[in-house]
Amino acid sequence: MSDDPLARLLQHPALWRGRSAAQLPTWSTGFPALDASLPGGGWPRAGLVELLTPRPGVGELRLLVPVLAQLSGLTPARWLAWIAPPFEPFAPALAERGIALDRQLIVRTAAPLWAMEQALGSGACEAALAWAPRVRARGLRRLQLATERGRTLGIVFREASAAREPSPAALRLAVVPHGGGVEVSLLKSRGGARGAIHLQFGDGRAEER
Amino acid sequence: MVVPKSAEDLEFEAAGRGSPVGAAALRRPTPSPACSPAPAPAPALSAEAGELWLALHLPTLAFDAVCREGDASQPVAVVEPVRRVQRIVIASRAAHARGVAPGMALAAALTLEPRLDTRNRDTGAERALLERLAAAAGEFTSRVSLEPPDGVLLEVRGSLALFGGVDALCAQVSAACRRVGTRARLALAPTPLAALAGARVSRGRAAAPFRVMHRAQLVGALAPLPLATLRLPQDTLGRLAKMGVNGIGAALRLPRAGFARRFGHETLATLDRLVGREAAPRRAVVPRERYRARGEPSYELTSQPALVAFLAPMLEALEDFLRRRQGSITALECRLHHRGGAVTRCRLRFAQPAFAAAPIGFLLGERLAATTLAAPVTACELVSSRLVPRRSASATLWQPGEHGGGPGSEAPELIERLRARLGEESVYGLCLVPEHRPEAAWRIAEPLVHRNAGAGARQAASAGAAASAVPAIGADRRPLWLLSTPLPLPSPAGGNAWPHYEGPLEKLAGPERIETGWWDDRDVARDYYVVRSGAAALLWIYRERRPPHAWFLHGVFG
Repeated sequence: MSDDPLARLLQHPALWRGRSAAQLPTWSTGFPALDASLPGGGWPRAGLVELLTPRPGVGELRLLVPVLAQLSGLTPARWLAWIAPPFEPFAPALAERGIALDRQLIVRTAAPLWAMEQALGSGACEAALAWAPRVRARGLRRLQLATERGRTLGIVFREASAAREPSPAALRLAVVPHGGGVEVSLLKSRGGARGAIHLQFGDGRAEER
Repeated sequence: MVVPKSAEDLEFEAAGRGSPVGAAALRRPTPSPACSPAPAPAPALSAEAGELWLALHLPTLAFDAVCREGDASQPVAVVEPVRRVQRIVIASRAAHARGVAPGMALAAALTLEPRLDTRNRDTGAERALLERLAAAAGEFTSRVSLEPPDGVLLEVRGSLALFGGVDALCAQVSAACRRVGTRARLALAPTPLAALAGARVSRGRAAAPFRVMHRAQLVGALAPLPLATLRLPQDTLGRLAKMGVNGIGAALRLPRAGFARRFGHETLATLDRLVGREAAPRRAVVPRERYRARGEPSYELTSQPALVAFLAPMLEALEDFLRRRQGSITALECRLHHRGGAVTRCRLRFAQPAFAAAPIGFLLGERLAATTLAAPVTACELVSSRLVPRRSASATLWQPGEHGGGPGSEAPELIERLRARLGEESVYGLCLVPEHRPEAAWRIAEPLVHRNAGAGARQAASAGAAASAVPAIGADRRPLWLLSTPLPLPSPAGGNAWPHYEGPLEKLAGPERIETGWWDDRDVARDYYVVRSGAAALLWIYRERRPPHAWFLHGVFG
């Protein structure tokens, strides 16, 4: 920490500077390369994240496995809600990757936005994941507000074509498969960092290429 | 709008499972065989000296059970067939004034009072009234027991100070009896039988009620009472009367050995219980209550908001009912009656016992919004589950999520909200099953509302469970997603060729053989492969080992 009053002032969380990452509480993503590029050094603790994928199953969930394992091991652990997942989350695989099963809440619904807003705003969940192919900017705005109300990490999975639409989400990432891992491109972030990061899923480790 | 009528539905469980009330319940001496002449020597007064019993004797129970409010001023009688002759059991004051008396044949009574209105005796209704009275008496003490056919006993030693002394307590108990719809004669004594005997004695209005506070005065107070108040068998009473023994005091003065020989050990034991030489345990009534209320709106309800508005006061009555009993409910059924007898049922189950009207109303509103009404609603009925004791928790100082504040009540509330709108089965948790078949290696579990221990213990437990339940496979060999039903994959080249799924597949790992489950008719024999699809997704596919060797997609690595 610097003794410079200006530097100390700039550390204030309410102060946001255009090109620098403001201090906001985050969870480490588990991938040092990704942590380095995200504002605050990880997933926001309260905020909406959009993950845009060309199709389900390209590696977007493995990107989240470290943070889900971390959140489900907290004391006290709130829930991790899975809202309208495209397939069944496979419990043995989750347990093997260190995700506590007793903190998982699966919600099957045709109206994922309503359930997502309830989960985010209730304060009962540490994180909520929603698969919502058709969601408008207004809906996302409500979700973003709900994340702040419930201090919850909200993650919405959308199709890659949604990148053209405006979004109030705090963080937007496009995930495409790349070799044995994924390429993550920052489309929007507080702090304005852009760019693409290549992550490799080895046996649980991530490397930067 | 009509104010909903509430009726409390009571179920009782008096005999059988309730615990004996008396402290010395198990100390009953075994009755000696009839041939043995020597009765036990008079035992010392038993140790449960602190008890004080309030007996409620209901002389007009048969009348109150079947008659309505204004009947007392009309010539009304309750009749019962005794050896094929209808006889009067009890008559109203108006009928009594004309000479109609209990035990009289109906024909004779009609001669005395031709306008006599008769009701058939209903012992079921009498029992129900007695049980309602016992439930109301639960207000005064937790030790209430039924004395069928027409008595209720309350152990009130501890209640005297709380209710302001004997007079105030008796006044409040009498008022409770009137609310239930009957009148009771009260008597206080240190033993249950003495209290009942005192209450059964008919005294004039002016006479002081039978009240014995201390055991030392008990025998003296009982002495003038007639033996009939003990409800001994009729022939025992007859034989005692022939000996000139009519009062309790005279019976107590008889030598024990001779008394037991002539009238049996059981009769002697009754006298011992009467004066407290022997314990007389009572079974406490355990009321099993449910809430049931029915409301009929003044006009038929067609819309969900109107229903919610109509149900709101009923739910408040429910909350009031629960608060008075310090109870909560785990389920609530709302029955919407339509014209023609059709009923729509809305059943709510709560993630944790609920008692407050507002959240229950919210959930009911959500459920009603998801229900389509077939026809306008003419009546609403609320039926609760059995009551469970309310567990109150202290409020947390911290907000959830800050400074380690717990999840508090949000967790069950969230589940209830989601379930109310989406249905019970749409919200669930996960747990592991030690199995090799992927589809059987997990199952749906009830979401865990109350967390156990700390996260460390839980993590260790889950890691241990995972280690013991699933053979160590190594991370990344199982997909994060499983298809609930495997998707058949076409194999364009036919035969043994690789299948296609949105293009050709590239094999990365495999085969891994899973062949198990012969014991439950769902045995599998599969070779699993990890493949990369044309769209660069990692897939988990398998091939049946049995003909026709079809390929299936079973998982996505995500």
